[in-house]
Amino acid sequence: MDRTLVDFVKVLRTAEIKVSPAETLDAMECMDLVGYENREFLKNSLALVLAKNPEEKEAFEDCFERFFVMDKPAQPGNTSSSEDESGGEDEFDDGDFNAEGESQQSGKGGGQGGGQGAGEQEIDDSVPQLQPTSELGKLLTTGTRTEQTISMMEAGRKVEVSKIVVFTQKGLFTRKIMDAMGLKGLQDEISDLTAHGGPGQRNLSGRLKKSRDLLRERVRDYVEKQFFLHADETGKQLREELLKKVKLSSLEKRNFKDVQEVVFKMAKKLISVHSKRRKTYKRGQLDVRKTLRNNMQYDGMFFNLKWKASKVDRPKVMCICDVSGSVSNYSRFLLMFLYSLAEVLPKVRSFAFSSDLGEVTKLFQHSKLEEAMARTMRDYGNGSTDYGRMLQDFKNHVMDDVDNKTTIIILGDARNNYGDSKSEIVKEMYDKAKRVIWLNPEPKSSWTVGDAEMKKYAPCCHQTEVCNSLVHLERVVSNLLKSVS
Amino acid sequence: MTLKNEKKLANVDIIQEGLEQLNYIGNQQIATAVFLAYHLEKPILIEGPPGVGKTELAKTVAEMLNLECIRLQCYEGLDESKAIYEWKYGKQLLYTQVLKETLGEILDGAKGLTESVTKLHEFGDIFFSEEFLEPRPLLKALKKEEGCVLLIDEIDKSDHEFESLLLEMLSDFQLSIPEIGTIKANDKRKPLVFLTSNNTREISDALKRRCLHLYIPFPDAALERQIVQARVPEIAENLRNQMVTFIQELRDMDLKKVPAISETIDWARTLILLHTESLDADLVKQTLNVILKFQEDIETVEAELQSVTNKALKENQ
Repeated sequence: MDRTLVDFVKVLRTAEIKVSPAETLDAMECMDLVGYENREFLKNSLALVLAKNPEEKEAFEDCFERFFVMDKPAQPGNTSSSEDESGGEDEFDDGDFNAEGESQQSGKGGGQGGGQGAGEQEIDDSVPQLQPTSELGKLLTTGTRTEQTISMMEAGRKVEVSKIVVFTQKGLFTRKIMDAMGLKGLQDEISDLTAHGGPGQRNLSGRLKKSRDLLRERVRDYVEKQFFLHADETGKQLREELLKKVKLSSLEKRNFKDVQEVVFKMAKKLISVHSKRRKTYKRGQLDVRKTLRNNMQYDGMFFNLKWKASKVDRPKVMCICDVSGSVSNYSRFLLMFLYSLAEVLPKVRSFAFSSDLGEVTKLFQHSKLEEAMARTMRDYGNGSTDYGRMLQDFKNHVMDDVDNKTTIIILGDARNNYGDSKSEIVKEMYDKAKRVIWLNPEPKSSWTVGDAEMKKYAPCCHQTEVCNSLVHLERVVSNLLKSVS
Repeated sequence: MTLKNEKKLANVDIIQEGLEQLNYIGNQQIATAVFLAYHLEKPILIEGPPGVGKTELAKTVAEMLNLECIRLQCYEGLDESKAIYEWKYGKQLLYTQVLKETLGEILDGAKGLTESVTKLHEFGDIFFSEEFLEPRPLLKALKKEEGCVLLIDEIDKSDHEFESLLLEMLSDFQLSIPEIGTIKANDKRKPLVFLTSNNTREISDALKRRCLHLYIPFPDAALERQIVQARVPEIAENLRNQMVTFIQELRDMDLKKVPAISETIDWARTLILLHTESLDADLVKQTLNVILKFQEDIETVEAELQSVTNKALKENQ
């Protein structure tokens, strides 16, 4: 059972459930206690030990159902093991689960399932008999369905079907499994039987051929399932890694959903890293009040001194996003990022502009992200970019709220259509705010080309960054969270 | 681990039955969690929306097993002197004063400082022995010879530091006190630990790893009816069904705080006090403040009150 469990844990990990080795050990202990007679009970128990938040529980449920279910479909006209079939099918609902467990035992007993068949086959011509002699043949004619499944899974394990990565490997693995189950022995037998053609032999060879084809069908099904179990998630991870690095402007609409998921995941990581509120201790400053209060229990004798400490404030972020056509994608994901971080960044004010500046904070707080994005784009997304106008608006309406705890993030390409840049307002921001960060999606080389005004703005910013992929975004936001002190 | 009422934890069905007898109606997962917690000697971390009976589970289990329930309510700033132990400073001081007189006798005949100190050393650290230790909930729970239920309530409200403080206790059932050494729980009767969290922040992985994780969601209609029946048996069946349907409807609406089971029960009690026989829109409007705790929510629901009430009535004719 141990190996089955380890395999299962591997599947869970690909489904992004974090399972530590210690938890695997717990799960084993739990399995010893619970046994595997009662499927529901086992599922509940393992869910308690392995999945540690609601999302993981859901994923766990899914994985469990897929992993611990063997192929159930009733195969029409299956004559391979006619006697067992009727009984086998009925008890399959319970039986399929035991199969997993038993397979392990048979595995320990020395892999008799597979490769031996090829070597052992000796076809005795002198005594014609209607029973197949190769291992696989015997299994197909006399073995129960459960036994066949076990043997199939044994073979699957031997050829490491769980390492399947892309769908083109399906055929390869199907063949490998069939080989491991002793296909060669069976083939030889079939050809021998047809060559020495008595009616009995021919009959048997016909039966064997039929069941061989059925078996192949089942193995293919099995490989298919393993593919979905193991490779689907790996593929997804690969895709997500790619999405993180791809330029945001080249993303297409159909990718948005995936990207959103990636953003949430990255945000979650940042939250867990930064959710601890730090304190900085001012060395050498005695906190008299705290010391007095704390030493009351010692009769006012001061031997437990308390020092002044101040809690590190969460950053107050103001985010000004260019939502004109060229940069709208970047703004979208930056905003998505910031609002996914509500737990560690509770005070985000956001503004959108292409020429006129408008505050969209409320919109984002009250409606769903997608909807808020769409409305922002609709309301502010048109018109040509005018940074001067935007900065003037900012000065008139918002500048008073900027204090030395505020971080201002401006996202835009600084392409001002040769208008007045009003960089003196950025300078004012620089003086008033704690930090001014300018994120520019264009590569540094084109920052001064054409109508770009980066040259004027850059000296008035604490930090200017190229920012054109999720990885960049993550780094910027992470730094933002880190730099607060 | 053996408790005196071990039979009551023999298998999942017995646990579920035992809980039901004490009017705690839960699904099989809850019973499974208690079963595993006992047999694997692991704490349970219970998460879920407020008011679904997380704290109640711990209390009910304690009642079922006839054990003391030691509760530690977490809050910001909770530290070891409030959770684990504290020295009884007053007592230490008093004893030194009293013993001052006898000091002369002890030091009698000792010459010089070194000799006196050596003599004093012979008496050991009596002032830092268990006599002078004030045990707080965690230590108390470890020292219970007959075992107990330890409830660490709303762990998410405490600081990160406190979480780390708990790790030793949760994985090994022991605590280290520098002056005395390590205190371990009775090996045969370790405390049954429940932690609850409302998920206002992520609990650290280290803590999660050491616990079984139980998520209690809002109950479905059938389960909720059973719960109301068990908790407020005097309510008429018809009214019960109506109000459960009504509440379930509310949970689907877009509210700031959806009503939990505890609110359903409160509402049932309210309706009985008012001698209600059947729901109607007016009555619901007047009692809405029992189930909804935000003015915004009340306003949202009031707009659709009539239709929701009618639906509840229609479904339970």
